[in-house]
Amino acid sequence: MSDRRAPRQTFVGAGLFALALSACTLLSAPAHAADAGKPANTLQSLAELDGKAPSRRQLNVQSWKTAEGARVLFVEAHELPMFDLRLTFAAGSSQDGGTQGLSTLTNAMLNEGVAGKDVTAIAQGFEGLGADFGNGSYRDMAVASLRSLSAADKRQPALKLFADVVGKPTFPEDSLKRIKNQMLAGFEYDKQNPAKLGANALSAKLYGSHPYAFPSDGNAKSIPGITQAQLRAFHAKAYAAGNTVIALVGDLSRSDAEAIAAQVSAALPKGPALPAPAQPSEPKPGITHIDYASKQTHLMLAELGIDRNDPDWAALSMGNQILGGGAFGTRLMSEVREKRGLTYGVYSSFTPMQVRGPFTINLQTRAELSEGTLKLVQDLLADYLKTGPTQQELDDAKRELAGSFPLSTASNASIVGQLGAIGFYNLPLTWLEDFMQQSQALTVEQVKAAMNKHLAADKLVIVTVGPKVPQKPLPPPTEKPADQPLGVPEH
Amino acid sequence: MKALARRAAGLLLGTLCLPLAAMAADTQPTHEFTLDNGLKVVVREDHRAPVVVSQIWYKVGSSYETPGQTGLSHALEHMMFKGSAKVGPGEGSRILRDLGAEENAFTSDDYTAYYQVLARDRLPVAFELEADRMASLRLPPEEFAREIEVIKEERRLRTDDKPNAKAFELFSAMAYPASGYHTPTIGWMADLERMKVEELRHWYEAWYTPNNATLVVVGDVTVDEVKGLAQKYFGAIPKRATPPAKLPLELAEPGQRQLTLHVATQLPSLIYGFNVPGLATAQNPRSVHALRLISALLDGGYSARLPSRLERGQELVAGASSGYDAFTRGDSLFLISATPNVQQHKTLADVEKGLWEQLDELKSTPPSAAELERVRAQVIAGLVYDRDSISSQATTIGQLETVGLSWKLIDRELDELKQVTPKDIQDAARTYFTRERLSVAHVLPEESAHE
Repeated sequence: MSDRRAPRQTFVGAGLFALALSACTLLSAPAHAADAGKPANTLQSLAELDGKAPSRRQLNVQSWKTAEGARVLFVEAHELPMFDLRLTFAAGSSQDGGTQGLSTLTNAMLNEGVAGKDVTAIAQGFEGLGADFGNGSYRDMAVASLRSLSAADKRQPALKLFADVVGKPTFPEDSLKRIKNQMLAGFEYDKQNPAKLGANALSAKLYGSHPYAFPSDGNAKSIPGITQAQLRAFHAKAYAAGNTVIALVGDLSRSDAEAIAAQVSAALPKGPALPAPAQPSEPKPGITHIDYASKQTHLMLAELGIDRNDPDWAALSMGNQILGGGAFGTRLMSEVREKRGLTYGVYSSFTPMQVRGPFTINLQTRAELSEGTLKLVQDLLADYLKTGPTQQELDDAKRELAGSFPLSTASNASIVGQLGAIGFYNLPLTWLEDFMQQSQALTVEQVKAAMNKHLAADKLVIVTVGPKVPQKPLPPPTEKPADQPLGVPEH
Repeated sequence: MKALARRAAGLLLGTLCLPLAAMAADTQPTHEFTLDNGLKVVVREDHRAPVVVSQIWYKVGSSYETPGQTGLSHALEHMMFKGSAKVGPGEGSRILRDLGAEENAFTSDDYTAYYQVLARDRLPVAFELEADRMASLRLPPEEFAREIEVIKEERRLRTDDKPNAKAFELFSAMAYPASGYHTPTIGWMADLERMKVEELRHWYEAWYTPNNATLVVVGDVTVDEVKGLAQKYFGAIPKRATPPAKLPLELAEPGQRQLTLHVATQLPSLIYGFNVPGLATAQNPRSVHALRLISALLDGGYSARLPSRLERGQELVAGASSGYDAFTRGDSLFLISATPNVQQHKTLADVEKGLWEQLDELKSTPPSAAELERVRAQVIAGLVYDRDSISSQATTIGQLETVGLSWKLIDRELDELKQVTPKDIQDAARTYFTRERLSVAHVLPEESAHE
């Protein structure tokens, strides 16, 4: 099966059945304060915690290069009789070279044909072994993955098929036509998705003529003209071994892993790593409104952020966590949702990429309150930049980070994801540890300085999507301050 | 990235994926016990990492609600974060956040569940907070006044401004004429507008009792440890009788129903739903497992019939999928949805014809051995893959228990599916894929309204 992201799942079908269950998950976020106003927390269990940082799964990350130059990262995990293999290529839309959507189309076509097998035969091959093939393409990276049982009679044929699919795809014409049509249908669906419309406009405003300006799946004008020859050429350079990171986790010995990496690497085209795109230039701040008939208005605010190797990443990540990075109790969530009931959720994030990725704030609110809400969010950002986090906020965020660390490596799926990112962005193998240490050492001043170095309240690029309706003033906030939890131990 | 891959393996199993151990790995020790107050506890040991998930499942959801009071279960879920005897509004979330825990809740038609994922040494905090709000929820009116506005935003975001979600809500209301599955979990907007905090108080008092809940713990724990903690924190909460809960039963053959909707969509699509039993209501469980296999044959992967024949072979649809949740408290629906391939000038009528050809073939011709073998291979592997996630294991256990089945079904899963014969599949198709059981929705772009 394929989990290609562009065409298939945009359709009703994929979304519908999830609805019944997912309609109502989530997010009763905390509210401030309230009633008796007293620090009611009398939790016995909290008082009994010993205050040490929790233990976590120790990862022995092994790394080497294949003969063809692919970087390999491997973690042995024998508890379950399965393994995960993830190939990450610097083959996202930032490598499209003016043919928008070429990268996504190439990635989506990988499993459409190999010598002697058409798309259905390939799918039957994986599915008959119980193996999951996955693929996806983004701004910087393209991914191809395999999850399989580790028993040799399943593993070997699954790997052989996987190596053919990623290394020697034939890009058959009939499939190309069909996938293009599906992508075109996907663009039609995008027109009913105000979040997508807004996100596309935001990227365009933020990045101008830089490759990050364009949606990674191209558009209705760019896709139809892409040829088989262009796919072949893109595959030959962007899916080359030297442009690939191989992450492996699971029930494999070191020698198994070496053999798998060698097999996959040898199947890929030969060639070096592709250069990263140029850094983007500063955008012009301002507001763009897209008129759209909906009940809510989507508000999207952005600035240029950082690349993945920026030394300020730990400080910015911490600063963002406090501003709007977590679900509960962030500054944005407290003020916009908990004190005023204006939105279901408001989140901020840095997305560090090969070159400067975006910093964004996203929310939706009822249309008649959208102007007031936008102003509120801008004021909250300005205030945060001006004053920085409080010592209490920073201490809490550090505890949270230390406490959540064990969750980040609890499953094979999460480990393979971490390895892929470490490999792709050329981070040291000790990166998880380093990040934790840097984060725990941060001071209020350092966080504030880093946020102000990279963000400014008057540099926001803003896109709003919604109906034009007469505006109302915001309801007054509840003024009772939040109870800070007492007795959370230090660690 | 995972969503569609999971879908392929998972659909076969309805919305959940049952981890079975028998194949290639040793069974993970799983234990169950019940406290004196009726709280059932299921513990599954998974010692791969020093983390644990704790989930509490209440047997209440939107299918328990009555007209005029829709959305109560979900609104109560939101208010469960607004303070109890030992913590103020939002404080529990902040405590858990500072401990690095992931926490959340979800409401469905059959259940309301709350969970925490955290480092193993913090489990007592999760228990104490969960027990406190089971016993002593505050429900402050001023918090409710703000939270109901958040819930309305949630409805606008997830339903009202999402044409396909809105269509599916209306479709469900038509396809379940008799049972509480008619009701959207988030509630109709008119009911949210008039909801009172007193109603939530009654709902809470009626259903949030230890004897109406199941606590599921999966992770780096021992049963003795969990037993001690469960007794310590939940043991003193008194048992209380709950109202009688009737299974959501449907009319077997309500007759064909048709809905035509014009929504803000660019492309037409259709939804089919056949009224069928679930595992909890079926006279013959074999027929339910046959329907599960049918769903896998149609859509259990990229080589299945809908993608290989309708999407690729005939190029009739741009996309199509099937779904069948057998693990419901009451009767269920067998669902198919599809979007015509408009580039090939296919219409909804063409798609309906193509779908009926597939359904009729299931009645007339048994599936090939190779097809069934592929399905089985995916089940076997899926049972192993699901064990990579402690949350997915806990969810499977919790859902089975909450809809009135047993988590021990997990161990019988493969056998049950193996017993289904090609003839069972044909019989199920003949019984259930009839016009009398069918609801159809045509979801059309708005401009068609003026044609």
